[in-house]
Amino acid sequence: MSGHDHPPFFATWRRAYVFAIALFAIEVAVLYAFTLRFS
Amino acid sequence: MNRIDYIVLIATILAIPLYGLWRTWKHPNLREYLKGDKTIRWGTIGLSVLATQAGPITFLSMPGQAYESGIGFIQNYFGQPFALIVVCAIFVPIYQRLKVYTAYEYLGQRFDGKTRYLGAFLFLIQRGIAAGITIYAPAIILSALLGWDLNLTIWLAGGFVIVYTVVGGTKIVSLTQRYQILVILIGMALAFGIAVYRLPADLSFTNALSLAGKMGKLQAVDFSLDPSRRYTFWSGVLGGFFLSLSYFGADQSQVQRYLAGGSLRSSRIGLLFNAIVKVPMQFLILLLGAMIFLFYQFEKPPMFFNQPSYQRAIENGHGPQLTTLQTRFDDVFTRKRDTIQAMTTGSPADTSALTAQIREFDAESRNIRDETRKILEQSGAGPKSKDSDYVFITFVINHLPHGVVGLLVAVIFCATMSATSAVLNALGSTTAVDLYRPLLRPKADDHHYVVATKWLTAAWGLVAIAVASFASLVENLIEAGNILASVFYGSILGLFLVAFFLRSVRGSAVFIGALLAQTLVLVLFFTLSISYLWYNVIGCGAVVIIAWLLQQTFFRNETPVAVR
Repeated sequence: MSGHDHPPFFATWRRAYVFAIALFAIEVAVLYAFTLRFS
Repeated sequence: MNRIDYIVLIATILAIPLYGLWRTWKHPNLREYLKGDKTIRWGTIGLSVLATQAGPITFLSMPGQAYESGIGFIQNYFGQPFALIVVCAIFVPIYQRLKVYTAYEYLGQRFDGKTRYLGAFLFLIQRGIAAGITIYAPAIILSALLGWDLNLTIWLAGGFVIVYTVVGGTKIVSLTQRYQILVILIGMALAFGIAVYRLPADLSFTNALSLAGKMGKLQAVDFSLDPSRRYTFWSGVLGGFFLSLSYFGADQSQVQRYLAGGSLRSSRIGLLFNAIVKVPMQFLILLLGAMIFLFYQFEKPPMFFNQPSYQRAIENGHGPQLTTLQTRFDDVFTRKRDTIQAMTTGSPADTSALTAQIREFDAESRNIRDETRKILEQSGAGPKSKDSDYVFITFVINHLPHGVVGLLVAVIFCATMSATSAVLNALGSTTAVDLYRPLLRPKADDHHYVVATKWLTAAWGLVAIAVASFASLVENLIEAGNILASVFYGSILGLFLVAFFLRSVRGSAVFIGALLAQTLVLVLFFTLSISYLWYNVIGCGAVVIIAWLLQQTFFRNETPVAVR
């Protein structure tokens, strides 16, 4: 089964990718706040 | 190391592979040997991908990197989440749909045989040498500090890996990596806790971080556009993206990890797990280095961490010069420690002046260490790797309790074994599937290919040990691996990007494009002095541009093939 065969399946994965990027953005924001606080 | 340490070390490094052998002891068919069975789930895949990337170099060198230059190196991982999402969305579905065993098999289906062989060949050269470095790097440090024989250490780290990787194939690699990375994470967390605990009792954790920040060790994110700065957010996102895309999309040692089990869902969740946990994990390892730096502001560090090299210089007649430097170093250390104590207990009004003083003392300490290194090089006792590579293991051996020392040495061995097993598994599989089967024995039965893959895996293991036995590093351990990867990865990634995105380009154009691009990168590598991350971008871009131009000109009339 490929992601291209089932649109809902593809949409679920798109949400998963957005979620992963959002978490990464939070990680960078926390690291930047850490930098500002302790540098 | 005492008897308890040796018991912990031996029990840890033997128990995991023996458990793996017990769990995988059967006669698999080719699919099971190369991809594992369907019991491999996303958790195992995620930890296996994490363990393959985080080799011994990560755990030995990275705390030392933070000790020397701060935690800014974390930014090199900022491109990885984006690359992993591209791999999840584009690479994985294609590999799974075509049911390929190796990434290069796909190149054969999309282009032709010669492009497949070229992709496999570039991978084998790069990874065959890198496997040797993966074994050599920890062996040279552990043997120097623990007084072990270098060749014995290399065989200890490499020999056992060859045996269990050959016997169990992909399933044992994934299974053992799951437990090896857990041991590694527990060991590193323990080292972090002890490093913080060993700081002075009157220094709170927040004050400790403030102090490390004032000494310039905690700048994690730098949005500067200044190209002369080594690590910035922008170079990390752009350079890290290309390096990670090459590594996760086109390096069989990683492709084989996430194709294990054969489920698209498991592969994707395993990779997304890495997109989320990689940055926090590397941050904590770097922060451990900053904590060790703080620890050594109150406890006098060795002037030079590579003590065996230092002792050789004394034996070679440079004792008087080194004694003079040691006296200066001790004096600077005492004055710096007194100033730090004055700052942590004094009024906030004095902070700026005292911080400036501490930074001056710190700069002077670094100058003295540089002078020491030059004397060591003049004496013929020149170290084969940066002194910062010895920082973490020196801290472990000299300041951690017995038992924990054994566990941390086991961590280094576990990291070596997990990274090496993944690479040997990939080297053996690629040689069997992409070269041996199509070129030498196209019509043998399944059992024949399993046996051939086992023999080829063992042969690559011996090649890695041979490289490790004759290697001598020229730069930092992390950089040696990254430079090697950057020189070859760009062309390999270019092959895959043309395959996915330039549907009009066919085999001959991309084959010649990749050869010319690889030649260009090698010429630039030997003639220019630019950051190694650029070779990756140049190699990849050159393949894409040259292949497209050749297709539009010389190969315009080439017969189209069915594009997958």
